[in-house]
Amino acid sequence: MQQQEIHDFLLRYFEANHCEFVKSEPSYMTVQLTEEMDKELMNRPFYWHYLEKTGGIPQPMQLTLVTDAPKTPEDVKGENIHFGSPRLHQIFTSTKKLAGYIRLYENKQGSPGRQTPLLPWLCLNVKISYQCDRKRDIYQSIGLQMINGRMVPDFHDQILSLSLTPKIPDYAFTLSPLIKPKSGVMRIENLLKTQINEEDHTWAEEARQRWKKDKDLLDHFYKEIDDTDSYEIEKQALKLQYEPKINISVINGGLFYLTDQAI
Amino acid sequence: MTVQITFDSSWQDELLNRMDNDGPWGSWELYKLAIEVEKQTIIPEFEGLQAPKHLSQLTPLPHQLEVAKQVVENMNGKAILADEVGLGKTIEAGLILKEYMIRGLVKKALILVPASLVSQWVMELNSKFFIPAVAQRKSYVWESCDVVVSSIDTAKRNPHRDIIYEQNYDMVIIDEAHKLKNSKTKNYEFVQNLKKKFCLLLTATPIQNRVSEIFNLVSLLKPGHLGSESAFYGKYKKDARSIDDDEHLRELVNKVMIRNRREDTGIEWTKRHVETIPIEFTKEEQDLYNSIRTLTEDTHLPSASSFSIMTLQREACSSREAVYYTLKNMIKRQETPSAIFEGKIASIIKKVEAVTTNSKAAKTLELIQEIGDKVIIFTEYRATQLYLQWFLQQHGISSVPFRGGFKRGKKDWMRELFEKRAQVLIATEAGGEGINLQFCHHIINFDLPWNPMRLEQRIGRIHRLGQEKDVKIYNFAIKNTVEDHILKLLYEKINLFEKVIGDLDDILTRLDVGKVEDHLVDIFSQSSSEGEIKIKMDNLTSMIQFAEEMREGDGHAATGNT
Repeated sequence: MQQQEIHDFLLRYFEANHCEFVKSEPSYMTVQLTEEMDKELMNRPFYWHYLEKTGGIPQPMQLTLVTDAPKTPEDVKGENIHFGSPRLHQIFTSTKKLAGYIRLYENKQGSPGRQTPLLPWLCLNVKISYQCDRKRDIYQSIGLQMINGRMVPDFHDQILSLSLTPKIPDYAFTLSPLIKPKSGVMRIENLLKTQINEEDHTWAEEARQRWKKDKDLLDHFYKEIDDTDSYEIEKQALKLQYEPKINISVINGGLFYLTDQAI
Repeated sequence: MTVQITFDSSWQDELLNRMDNDGPWGSWELYKLAIEVEKQTIIPEFEGLQAPKHLSQLTPLPHQLEVAKQVVENMNGKAILADEVGLGKTIEAGLILKEYMIRGLVKKALILVPASLVSQWVMELNSKFFIPAVAQRKSYVWESCDVVVSSIDTAKRNPHRDIIYEQNYDMVIIDEAHKLKNSKTKNYEFVQNLKKKFCLLLTATPIQNRVSEIFNLVSLLKPGHLGSESAFYGKYKKDARSIDDDEHLRELVNKVMIRNRREDTGIEWTKRHVETIPIEFTKEEQDLYNSIRTLTEDTHLPSASSFSIMTLQREACSSREAVYYTLKNMIKRQETPSAIFEGKIASIIKKVEAVTTNSKAAKTLELIQEIGDKVIIFTEYRATQLYLQWFLQQHGISSVPFRGGFKRGKKDWMRELFEKRAQVLIATEAGGEGINLQFCHHIINFDLPWNPMRLEQRIGRIHRLGQEKDVKIYNFAIKNTVEDHILKLLYEKINLFEKVIGDLDDILTRLDVGKVEDHLVDIFSQSSSEGEIKIKMDNLTSMIQFAEEMREGDGHAATGNT
């Protein structure tokens, strides 16, 4: 992530969270946090607790974030933000936390005589992690049409071009899903698992070989030592180190009500 | 081939919950941002290092990146990092830890380091690597913090020990791991029983060890890598000099150990300037020195005394205070000292009392004033350390003492004082290890250690990565004393000071370092004349030179990584 991308990301994050910019320069920004954002980012629960008890006037903090230090005036005191900075990762985490669940409607207004029908979709954006003593992840976005069960890959990218709104538009109505959300999630889960099982898992095979090799050495080492405790500990450690696993975690997702032409 | 796949179902429970409650729903803009973040932070490849992208404050050197890559990709996260002193093993370990943390393979890590280094590790991990490491100060820290730095001595004691064994560490890092070479110690046992999923052992001196030591170290990291104990010793003699004697063993060890040498790194190092400063005793000092030799003529002395006399002579080259302290102890140790013995000691004490000045201290003062910058003085003796501190203070020079026995906090405090307030730091031998003082570039070796490795460690405190200036080393030696012999023959003939550390390591490996010291004691205590001393010292020098030639003969094959 380049500094410019980080800068744009921060602007969008604070805007989306309704924070005012006291200063917004190309190299840095000073943000007046809202009460919610102060609680989200500034880690001062005692202050907020105290305020609640005493009924004082909340004074959320301002935050100055510098994305291009050489071009920032020296008297600007702020936090330097770069790809590895803890603050940025805190904001990353916060972003995911605040937007874990969504419900949106395609913004297609009908008319009194011709109401727009909207089809229900369930979308899951997931991260699939392949883990042994090493790890790699891939991102996938799957959409499930909850009436006919059609599943669509790259769903997220496909809806980016649509106009979406959190409130159902006038003269539009949603069709009732035939598939319940719970079973919808399960269908997506099964689809992902089937796909994964068809992949090439040489990596896992190799990890198991490394595991076996170390395990054989361990067995040999402890053959003449009567210390089952430390043997068990070491054996367990090898399992943790090498055992290949795949974890699917949900980044975010939700319900989308779209016109028939949308996807 | 099937791999177990787990699907995180917690998300859907919350979805159903929100559907029942008609919200709350996230904003579309944040939702899109979250996906963008995820795409940015996802790591699609098993290979390659992510850590450097996250570390804006740090520009790792090529050899450090290479080490990190090797450990992660080829050594499965278990390795002995054995770079020479000053090449940045901490940086390498930090890179590896960071890499695993970014990839989500390590969450909980335990870092065991010498007490004096705890704060430094915490500081470096936080400031250079943005790893929220915490120094262990309260027992709840083990459970509540993910990355904890502690000394082994604290960790191995209860209640800590039991709590630690309860934790599931993903990574264990041990600094100065060569201290774990003996498998019979409590420390060894403690580390052995830690669950080590990923593990790094850091040491600057693994190959000076005997075969048994390398066996213990490797078995700690990867039990069985060198076979079972009986099989191993059946094959290799326990007292074999070095692992380099056996090609096969060396190859095996190189699979779990990475060792970079200065010359391999291609980094321009600042220079070392070494100056020997010969010093003449005053008449009284010479008298004292000579009188100690007369002790050898006494046949009633206890058997261990040749060593004591050796010590006394060396102390006489340092300070009268050091001599006095040892004499007092010698008397104390004898339950019923013979009259002759008491008489001798008393006469030496008289000589001690006659000494009113310290030639070396006077020279030190002169040198410090001339340098006008920070100076570290190393001495082997606490009595000398105390005396020097008093002496310098008399002349308006501020100094701070440093000893191995200081508690962690005190060491940090002394280092801080030295950096910010005092001109001089006076360290005893034990103080030489485990503290970085790159802001200083003058060392005075007030007296010389007989173990060349310790000398290297002294210099290594300041001549390391991060040192921007050339390092000046002043060696004091009193003319016509044991000290003079050591310096001339051993240090000057084999150019020990100019040598970069790697060469020295290799040479000493072949020699079995511990014994150099024994040789010296033997030579000085058993020789009946100056001539004999000289011949024996020449022999020792040739031996070292021979080892050196041998090393040059077989190039770098002996230490290179495979």
